Amino acid sequence: MASRYQAPVCLFLAALTAAVIVFTSACVAKPRQYSLKGQVMDISMTGELIVKHDDIPGFMPAMTMPYKPRDPGVSQQVRAGDLIAATLMVATNGNYWIEDVRITDQSGRTAARSAMVTQALRVGEKAPDLPLINQDGKTLHLSDFRGKALLITFIYTRCPMPAFCPRLSSQFAKIHEHLARTPADYNKTHLLTISFDPKYDTAPVLRRYGLAYLDNDAAGFSHWDFAFTNAADLRKLAEAFGLTYFEEDNQISHSMDIVLLTPDGSVAQYWATAWTAAELEEALRQQARSAASVATMGAAGMKR
Amino acid sequence: MSHGLGRACLACCLGAASFHLTGCSQMGLGRGAAEERGGILFDRHCADCHDESNPDLKKQPPKLTGLFRSKLLPSGSPATDEQVRNTIVNGRGTMPAFDRRLREQDVDDLVKYLHTLR
Repeated sequence: MASRYQAPVCLFLAALTAAVIVFTSACVAKPRQYSLKGQVMDISMTGELIVKHDDIPGFMPAMTMPYKPRDPGVSQQVRAGDLIAATLMVATNGNYWIEDVRITDQSGRTAARSAMVTQALRVGEKAPDLPLINQDGKTLHLSDFRGKALLITFIYTRCPMPAFCPRLSSQFAKIHEHLARTPADYNKTHLLTISFDPKYDTAPVLRRYGLAYLDNDAAGFSHWDFAFTNAADLRKLAEAFGLTYFEEDNQISHSMDIVLLTPDGSVAQYWATAWTAAELEEALRQQARSAASVATMGAAGMKR
Repeated sequence: MSHGLGRACLACCLGAASFHLTGCSQMGLGRGAAEERGGILFDRHCADCHDESNPDLKKQPPKLTGLFRSKLLPSGSPATDEQVRNTIVNGRGTMPAFDRRLREQDVDDLVKYLHTLR
């Protein structure tokens, strides 16, 4: 009796298992989709549309956020002031982008394609040397990091959106941990997190925030600074790096930006919403190593 | 054997139904207007971290079901209204502060809602 049913049951179980695997994989891999409607406020250096959007039910309340179009051509067609409708895609790894972008009303569009793009530094240009105050209350300048490859990002500590500032800081923490395993690279690199919210993110707040991402090891601050600056200098930094931020209802809506500076303080690369920690870490290591290699070759040339 | 398989399938279905009902039952215990408001605020401000999986975060935020059934919060602090309120307003570890985002009444309603998550 048992042998009579064994083969069909095994087949049934195999089919069931396969179905579960396929179903589970589909659930894991498929990005969530949301409908997005709003007004384009600006277009970033990296082609993100800064959109002041309506409520996105199930994802986030109405606010101003950066969205990267899947089709890079969209950034060329859209202008600040346009009303758009699009499909927002959110992947399981936290990356998000927009597809099917349609301009629904262009009567409010501005003449310039983007204020940010025209003002921001190009790759190879020197970053401004503005003063910052770090988690210990010490004044810093970007020039203090000359000789090291510097990875900078911008957050505010009260940001509650897991796919935004908490993700940025978590991924920077991962990069920091990985670099610490390679002393040669660790000594030639530095991480810098700058707050968009100088009114709230004072030195003690940034210290507490930083320690949470450094596993309470204050020694990590020697490789990763958390800093703020005054409103005027923050605006200058934002213009230099093509950042957008607005204060709305005591919260900060801002673009997602990561900037890599070369050891001589020039812009090497920008990232917006599509990146991985591994990609950032590799770029940072390469920047540090290529500079070290040039320095070694220079020294060898001098000896000859 | 076929009966056994049938029973196994039935058990799976009942298990799934039971799981589904258990999940639903958490949503309606001891709710007044304040708890209802707190639930809406929870969905808007807390659920993305505390109810969803966020593998990109350094630390996974804890689920808050049964928060007040234990004597201690996940942080190890006493599970009191005051402590939870302080955590919401000022943040803790990688949890952001909700200072200036939520009003005092909002925080009261949230704490009341958290009491209903048994």
